Amino acid sequence: MMLAPDADAIIIGAGPAGMSAAIELASSGCRVIVLDMQPSPGGQVYRSLDENMQARPQTDDLLSALGPAYSAGLPLIARFRATPGIEYRPSTTVWDLRADGTVGWLDGEAAGYLRAPHVILACGAMERPTPFPGWTLPGVMTAGAVQTLLKAGRLKPAGRIVLAGTGPLIVLLADQLRRLGVRPALIARTDRLKDKFTALKTLHPTGVPALLKGLGWLARLRLAGVPMQTGISGLEAHGRGRLTSVRMIAAGRTIEIACDLLVVHDGIVPSTDLAHAAGLALEWLKDDASWRPRTTLDGRAEMAPGPALTMGPCRIRITGDARRIGGADAAVAHGRHAAGAILAELGHAAGKPAAGLTGIDVQRALATRPFLDAAFPPGLAAQLPDDAAIVCRCEEITAGALRAMIQDGTSDMNLIRGTLRCGMGACQGRSCAATLARFLMEADPDRPQPPSPFRARPPVRPLPLGALANMTGLDPELAQIESLDDKPEAIIENDTHA
Amino acid sequence: MTPMRKTGNDVLIIGGGLQGCSIALFLARAGWRVTVVEKNLAGRHASGVNAGGLRSLMRDVREYPLSLRAMDMWANLSDFVGDAAAEACEVRLGTSQIALAMDTAELQWCEARSHDMRRRGIQSEELVAPVELHRLLPGLAASALGGLISRRDGHANPANAARAFRKAAEAAGVRILEQCTMRDLAPKAAGGWLADTDTGRIEAEWVLNCAGAWGSDVAARLGETLPIKVTALSMMVTARVKPFIAPVVIGIDQPLSFKQSAVGSLVIGGGILGKPCLDGDTSFTIMDRMASSAAATVAAFPILAGVPVVRTWTGLEGATPDGIPFIGPSRRHPGLWHVFGFCGHGFQLAPAVGEAVAQSLVSGDLDPRLVPFAVDRLPPQPPRKYEASR
Repeated sequence: MMLAPDADAIIIGAGPAGMSAAIELASSGCRVIVLDMQPSPGGQVYRSLDENMQARPQTDDLLSALGPAYSAGLPLIARFRATPGIEYRPSTTVWDLRADGTVGWLDGEAAGYLRAPHVILACGAMERPTPFPGWTLPGVMTAGAVQTLLKAGRLKPAGRIVLAGTGPLIVLLADQLRRLGVRPALIARTDRLKDKFTALKTLHPTGVPALLKGLGWLARLRLAGVPMQTGISGLEAHGRGRLTSVRMIAAGRTIEIACDLLVVHDGIVPSTDLAHAAGLALEWLKDDASWRPRTTLDGRAEMAPGPALTMGPCRIRITGDARRIGGADAAVAHGRHAAGAILAELGHAAGKPAAGLTGIDVQRALATRPFLDAAFPPGLAAQLPDDAAIVCRCEEITAGALRAMIQDGTSDMNLIRGTLRCGMGACQGRSCAATLARFLMEADPDRPQPPSPFRARPPVRPLPLGALANMTGLDPELAQIESLDDKPEAIIENDTHA
Repeated sequence: MTPMRKTGNDVLIIGGGLQGCSIALFLARAGWRVTVVEKNLAGRHASGVNAGGLRSLMRDVREYPLSLRAMDMWANLSDFVGDAAAEACEVRLGTSQIALAMDTAELQWCEARSHDMRRRGIQSEELVAPVELHRLLPGLAASALGGLISRRDGHANPANAARAFRKAAEAAGVRILEQCTMRDLAPKAAGGWLADTDTGRIEAEWVLNCAGAWGSDVAARLGETLPIKVTALSMMVTARVKPFIAPVVIGIDQPLSFKQSAVGSLVIGGGILGKPCLDGDTSFTIMDRMASSAAATVAAFPILAGVPVVRTWTGLEGATPDGIPFIGPSRRHPGLWHVFGFCGHGFQLAPAVGEAVAQSLVSGDLDPRLVPFAVDRLPPQPPRKYEASR
């Protein structure tokens, strides 16, 4: 790296993985900068935990409803806050990432580039986008959004609520709502009992406590008399201007339920937008219908084939759910392991001997995952949506419009984006790229791999003009204006006036 | 120069950008059999991702005759590409383009330029006084001193326009082969050309090198040295904002160029270049440079400071040493024309280039408007090493 580094390592994300990597590195004397979108550390799982603890006793009910899985983050957050050598920058959005260790950040009206010889990408997961008819209606939310409102807004939903989808989170959320006195009208699950029996074959002993925990949630929901239906399909949200009812196929017949709030969840997938924007290699998981970055066990990423903006080795490691969905415990284990690998590379004594052990921790923590994947296969997104459903919600592009262009012979993601504006909105295609890739696969089943996500160019997140205009940390060599220099001459030599 | 109907095509066009498709369209309408080979997708680079400016303002005077003709053609685009495609191009003429003078040096330049243009009998560029300037451009910084205005100018949607010309060409009978690399190209002993491509051998009486950023490479393979600088022109697009500005605003010495698109987003350029990657058939945005473009925009329009940039574009383009394109017959090979190196301002010219080149080929007489673009106008160049300019 030609420019002076701002730190020994930059970590993107202050969730379990990012915090644990930061603690590990800083404890060995590294200078670490942690950039995080949220105003306080914790990631999605421990969102606002700090504030909610400080606001006791008024948050006692909330904390007790959110349960021990939420409070478990306290010691980690406390250590993260107390460890010297960590420069924690909350409320900071990362909008550019380069493989050479350059990170573009935005905090309010200020923006800049930071550089470090090591970057750890710990940006977590996102909920799987589930385009179904009516999913963009006001009154339809994801389970993650409801949890955000609970944790950060201390808001609980009211009215007639239907939860639909699959995954541990939807059952956990239902149980949390029950504790808060909110009784869902129906929990409509796409997964079936037979998925559980199939899944048992993949159950690792380390997964037994998690399994028991899940069974506990289910038992309490049953005891409370919350209606639950498994194996549902064909979910549709109806209403004019806002949600008034949901329709689905359950046990072979169509049912319709009036409701005010539909909470959907179809599992989580790694957030790959920054990795993709940095030119890192992604791999497609067919069964999961999602991309994930290609990494080694210790998180080292590799460049995608083809031309790249920057020269030299890739300085990025990816950890936690951004690398592989595994939940908070696995993220903590992997964050430590990835940090250990960096320490070993830096020649720290602490790095080497520990690497083997932390690697075993990672394997152990991830061992429960195959069971969960088999028990809760993607449901709402299992079938591609019908033509009427919106796929790109920023620009309101329907499945039908995408299919028509593909049937017309187009097989290029970027051409479809350029023509139909699918993926051109504020979310930059984070939500629709995987669905469009699946449409392309649907049209050409012989294709071994779907295309890559849309071509990504900075800024990956919205960046105000004023912040860009006053950016700090520019690379003086790159910032040298190369312009066309095509201003015509105003020739006045032959003029009498001149 | 009657087209020969023996074998293959009358014309093989290398490059499916806007210029190649426009020439193809006019040749096909004249009854010629045309094949276009495009190594990527038609309009993939500068043709589809430019600023879409329909600008005669601040044009090199040598381009004026073509530019004026092109303006008439854009105004009647449906005559050339059909109603639906013309509609899709979102042509907005008469919104005007304005070159902003933010300091006295720029203002003096405007005065000299305006004087010069009047002396040449070109009336389309006028000085614009501060009062009118601030009326036309709400939100403009009070420090803006004046500028030049070209009232007939406007803009169009570049991606849609590239597609419209391509579709019109196909409708006129042009064969467009995409993702088709030209492996070899050689003149035949008996006249005409033989090309070896991914889709097989293609014979043609004429070859037109419309390869844009790759134009110099194509010429070099045929032993002709036509230097260009390969550039990656970059643009930024903001979130949609309420319509507030109709004219296109460009800088004089500032890296400034912006307009509000039909959907409300601001499209900001200013000739800032990214990193070209000719071999990889792509280019990269360099935000370190876009910062100066954002600074110029915010200096001229402070009210835009809070508007977020949501995307950037870059597209590959070739720039000649003297700022105007190469358009004309090869001096080395009979039956070969070069049409490339539009220096980032070829979009507006494209319909007129298509028409003038096609007419020249069909009639056998070089259109006088093309004379300034002769490929041998520059002093002799040292032979280019094939990889040198990458």
